[in-house]
Amino acid sequence: MTQSKINTKRVNALVLTGYGLNCDFETAYAFELAGAVAARVHINALISEEVSLADYDILVFDGGFSWGDDHGAGVLEAMRLKYNIGQALDRFIKEGKLILGICNGFQALVNLGFLPGFDGDYKTRQVALTFNDCGNFRDDWVPLSANSDSPCVFTKGIRQLELPIRHGEGKFYAPPEVIRRLIDHDQVVLQYATPAGDAARGQPPYNPNGSAHDIAGICDPTGRIFGLMPHPEAFNHWTNHPDWTRTKELMKRKGQPIKPEPTVGIRLFRNAVDFIRQTA
Amino acid sequence: MPARLEVTLKPELFDAEGAAVCRKANDYFGFDIESVRTASILTIDVDLSENQLEAVQKEIFTNPVTQVSSYKPLDIDFDWILWVGYRPGVRDNPGSTAIEAAEDLLRIQVKPYEGIYTSKRYCLKGGNLSFEDADRVARELLANDTIQQWKVFSQKEWDPEAGVGIIIPKVRLDHKPTVTTIPIDSDEALVRISNERNLALDPNDIPTIRAYFLRDDVLARRRVVQLSEPTDVELEYISQARSDHCNHNTFKGLFLYRDLATGKTQAVDNLFDTCIEAPTLAIKEKKPWVVSVLWDNAGVARLNEDYYYVITGETHNSPSNMEAYGGAITGIVGVYRDPMGTGKGSKLVMGMYGYCVGHRDYRGELKPHLHPKRLLDGVIEGVRDGGNKSGIPTPYGQVWFHDGYLGKCLVFVTAVGLMPSVMKGAPCEEKTTSAGDLIVMCGGRVGKDGIHGVTAASEGFSAETPAGHVQIGDPYTQKKMHDFLLEARDEGLIAFITDNGGGGLSSSIGESACFSNGCIVELEKVPLKYEGLDQWEIWVSESQERMTVAVKPEDHERFMALSAKHAVESTVIGRYTDTGKLHIAYDGKTCAYIDLDLLTSQFPQWTFEAEWTPPEMRGLFEPVLAEPEDASGLLLDMLSRPNICSKEWVIRQYDHEVQGTSVIKPLVGKERDVNSDAVVIRPLLDCPQGLAAAQAVLPNYSQIDTYHMVACVIDEAVRRVVAVSGDPDRIGGVDNFCWPSVQYDPRHNPDGKYKAAQLVRANWALRDICRAYELPLLSGKDSMYVDGHLKGRYGVTHKVSALPTLQFTCTSVVEDIARCVTMDCKVAGDLVYVVGETKDELGSSEYYEHFGYVGLNVPKLEPELCMKSYRAVSRAIAEELVASCHGVYRGGLGVHLALVAMGGGLGMDIDLAKAARVEAEKDHVILYSETPGRFIVTIDPKHRSSFESIMNDISHACIGTVSDEPELVINGLKGSPIIRVPVAELKAAWQRRFKGLV
Repeated sequence: MTQSKINTKRVNALVLTGYGLNCDFETAYAFELAGAVAARVHINALISEEVSLADYDILVFDGGFSWGDDHGAGVLEAMRLKYNIGQALDRFIKEGKLILGICNGFQALVNLGFLPGFDGDYKTRQVALTFNDCGNFRDDWVPLSANSDSPCVFTKGIRQLELPIRHGEGKFYAPPEVIRRLIDHDQVVLQYATPAGDAARGQPPYNPNGSAHDIAGICDPTGRIFGLMPHPEAFNHWTNHPDWTRTKELMKRKGQPIKPEPTVGIRLFRNAVDFIRQTA
Repeated sequence: MPARLEVTLKPELFDAEGAAVCRKANDYFGFDIESVRTASILTIDVDLSENQLEAVQKEIFTNPVTQVSSYKPLDIDFDWILWVGYRPGVRDNPGSTAIEAAEDLLRIQVKPYEGIYTSKRYCLKGGNLSFEDADRVARELLANDTIQQWKVFSQKEWDPEAGVGIIIPKVRLDHKPTVTTIPIDSDEALVRISNERNLALDPNDIPTIRAYFLRDDVLARRRVVQLSEPTDVELEYISQARSDHCNHNTFKGLFLYRDLATGKTQAVDNLFDTCIEAPTLAIKEKKPWVVSVLWDNAGVARLNEDYYYVITGETHNSPSNMEAYGGAITGIVGVYRDPMGTGKGSKLVMGMYGYCVGHRDYRGELKPHLHPKRLLDGVIEGVRDGGNKSGIPTPYGQVWFHDGYLGKCLVFVTAVGLMPSVMKGAPCEEKTTSAGDLIVMCGGRVGKDGIHGVTAASEGFSAETPAGHVQIGDPYTQKKMHDFLLEARDEGLIAFITDNGGGGLSSSIGESACFSNGCIVELEKVPLKYEGLDQWEIWVSESQERMTVAVKPEDHERFMALSAKHAVESTVIGRYTDTGKLHIAYDGKTCAYIDLDLLTSQFPQWTFEAEWTPPEMRGLFEPVLAEPEDASGLLLDMLSRPNICSKEWVIRQYDHEVQGTSVIKPLVGKERDVNSDAVVIRPLLDCPQGLAAAQAVLPNYSQIDTYHMVACVIDEAVRRVVAVSGDPDRIGGVDNFCWPSVQYDPRHNPDGKYKAAQLVRANWALRDICRAYELPLLSGKDSMYVDGHLKGRYGVTHKVSALPTLQFTCTSVVEDIARCVTMDCKVAGDLVYVVGETKDELGSSEYYEHFGYVGLNVPKLEPELCMKSYRAVSRAIAEELVASCHGVYRGGLGVHLALVAMGGGLGMDIDLAKAARVEAEKDHVILYSETPGRFIVTIDPKHRSSFESIMNDISHACIGTVSDEPELVINGLKGSPIIRVPVAELKAAWQRRFKGLV
């Protein structure tokens, strides 16, 4: 692949925009912080071939309210892409490139059938994200635990983290046998947890939506396609964290200044960039 | 043959929407319904084959994992079935995306007369409901008859084959567009026609209007374009432009102000010029960061070297009062168009909300159109969908309960945008139209929406007449337009941009044509939702999600290409000229031809009589109260009062993290559940500057004196942004006045003179405090006529006027977000300071209200002292000496010490005797007085001397310490503890009122 030679220098991330998507700026920014070159590209620019998917290493289905979430969150976005650039997307997956779906993007990935991707089947819808049990949109930061045995490229080296959730349709649902299979194959990447790091066991507010098995994010069997409800791109700076003023004061009392290191949110993106660099 | 698809969740799945309906129905009406299941219905009135129907069913509308669907009615268990659908012409957002999806999947073009309509079926089980009960759930919970229709089916009436039937809410107007000329034989005749046609022309304006149309030179010029008497289009244009809403006739009026105590009378000419414009322009001279104010859709101020922020605030009271969800979503989506239409356009970065409503548990005898509980729920949801679906964080807001808002609720919506200071080498805040520029309308289409809003409410409905007066905003369409316009701006394709809000094209084109000095509009080119609109209706329709843009002819092609890429409809509907004329044609025939300068000519000024009766003369007095025996119990009850207690359930419904800019969130503290003084965002992700923002209302103070109401409201908003580290010298304000009618009428508004005096005094305070704080007004709006007529017992109708209300918004730049502080105490052993003096100022306080008193000693602001204090506090924060900082607001020290403790999850030992005070010599006065200008600050003891030296000539006192033991202990003046309550108990009391709500 000639493509991969170029990638030794530069990792190209494509962040979708248009039709009500709304996390494109901060998602592109997060990839830039992680060392990639990120482009915000309108869905119609891919369809019209003004922009070619083949020029990118990472495709991001970012958050938002595509088509206003009407007829099921992510449903119409999935349909438009499937029927207009389905083949280009298939090729993208086959070439082993990375796909990340955040919130509305996760919803689109499951409606495209890219997740869970059992047995190389990237067409069949087998899991769903449906209305929160609380019956409403909810904004909160939640503790999460990451599965260290998961093949997921994005969460490498990450065990526990906190990220904001902001959704009305984030309840992960699938028939029991599908859930079983996700667990058995370590495709469950992120789970809602208590602040102490224990499983949330369905209890609100830690499991904020009633997700089966506390599932907050899953990957395909290769670990290269990853979807999650929480928003890592909204933790792009240490001052995004809800406790930062407290943490800063407590550190100060110990005589320790805050070191503005990359946040755990940015580490997710950096893992993706590193993966592309390593495989290039 | 139309098809009807029903979609529902698989029976084994929990139906969260149904459960929410069930919970609300039982809560609102005291029913005992066991379960509710919902089904979505799509009525597809499009010519599709069997295969095509199956394709859309499977590929679009049914999720195979969670849903089942059928073109026959689904078999769902029920005792009652309620069907709810829209009336014709009401914006059906999922209906339009369904069409878009079907077109995309099937590669078809849905014809203009075809459509897809969404509706809902609710299946209720249990509760032994009667028909009346079931109907009530539909009427009072699920549907609003101004926009929706419904049907109720019992088991007996339900036909499992026919289901809900096929109902197609299509608008059909068999009407040929017609321009009508209006005879102007006499003033009386024109007044009569104005009333008949709801033109709402001011009787005082009529002679000026007639004189213009009777002028010989005007007649001669009109003859050339085949016009003589004015047309309806022309009078509508004049009426819109002269309306109080657009022209601020009240604020620009002449008030004859008489103080009944002194007998002195003075003429107050033009509140807008003297109290808003003049102080702001003077302050702008001194503060170069004030970039653009008083002329555009929103004000512009500097954020950093390369970027400006843009801000404005609006209200959407009357529509929200009619249809809470629709009014509120239209309000927030509408205010977002103001920054989009400021300068050459800005990107939206933040929204804020304020709701003033009757008490949620109101059980009185007056019957408002919507009960406050339902109204508030609807308003919250409207702003939720409008904000969240726009991708704009909504981090700050407030809710205020008072039964004066039963007559009309207040819905404040505020929008903040961001623009580069320079765009393609030109200042981004500037814009103009020039002769030859194309007039382009972008976004939504035009229907009968919002035409003569309120008056239409009383007209009857038929099955096919559009329910046009109430609108439902469409954030999806607008978000697409927003993204498109920013891209067009960045390519330098926008010469001028403004939004279509009140007055529609009439306002947007009328105002933008003043820059080039003329325009010609071809009305037939305006894309319509349905045929049959008269020309004047196209001209004044307030259909949402539209912007008017001036585009140079050479940029036309590129502009349209970008528009197509973003799936946004844009249409050239005319061009700007320099003829001095507003020229409107339809199919080549002129229907309006007016000199643009008519509106700047001499229309008579509105005049008001204003009579001020000082509070003592109104019989107000201080109640005689002794110290409570159960001070702890009293504090707990104060914390649970509606205007004090936690409203976390509202805040969590709003996305405050989108765009990744959140620095100080609406809820802070150890458990992240106590209100922050203000919010801070970092609008530019790669810059250290933040923007702090907060708002305040204190309508209850108006019961004593609106002067002090306004002073205290401004002070609270200022203090809030200072508390999180906003720079006190870079604060900008937005004033939103909501006032009952101030026009005296012996029968209809007998206290109009008093209300007019209240308005004058409020403006005086605005002027005085803005000058003292050197606080420019970046933007502002006024909404008059906050009155309602409610039916009560015996069928007697009562006029209910809201308390005169000012919402004040403050923004300030934070140079380095890493220095922001929050209100929660952080470390045991820290010293607790109160900055500022506490006075005996319990008049219209929360404390007096708790006992049913108003009192007399309304809090009075000393602005010069306060500003000195704020600069000192700000310096202490900047030098990182402060661990927490919190203003003392409604509820006084008692409530706010408790909040600081709750935020930190730590205790406090407080000695009231140490507090700096003036004539406040009782414990309960010190605890609950609402004297403005105060902060509670906690600091590391090692910073004591540095802090105190900064506070050297500021009144302040160390009144205690933060303790490890999570208990609030307050020692009274006698030295012994009067309050001792565990912090967890304080929080439980503060949260209990709205605990169960989501």
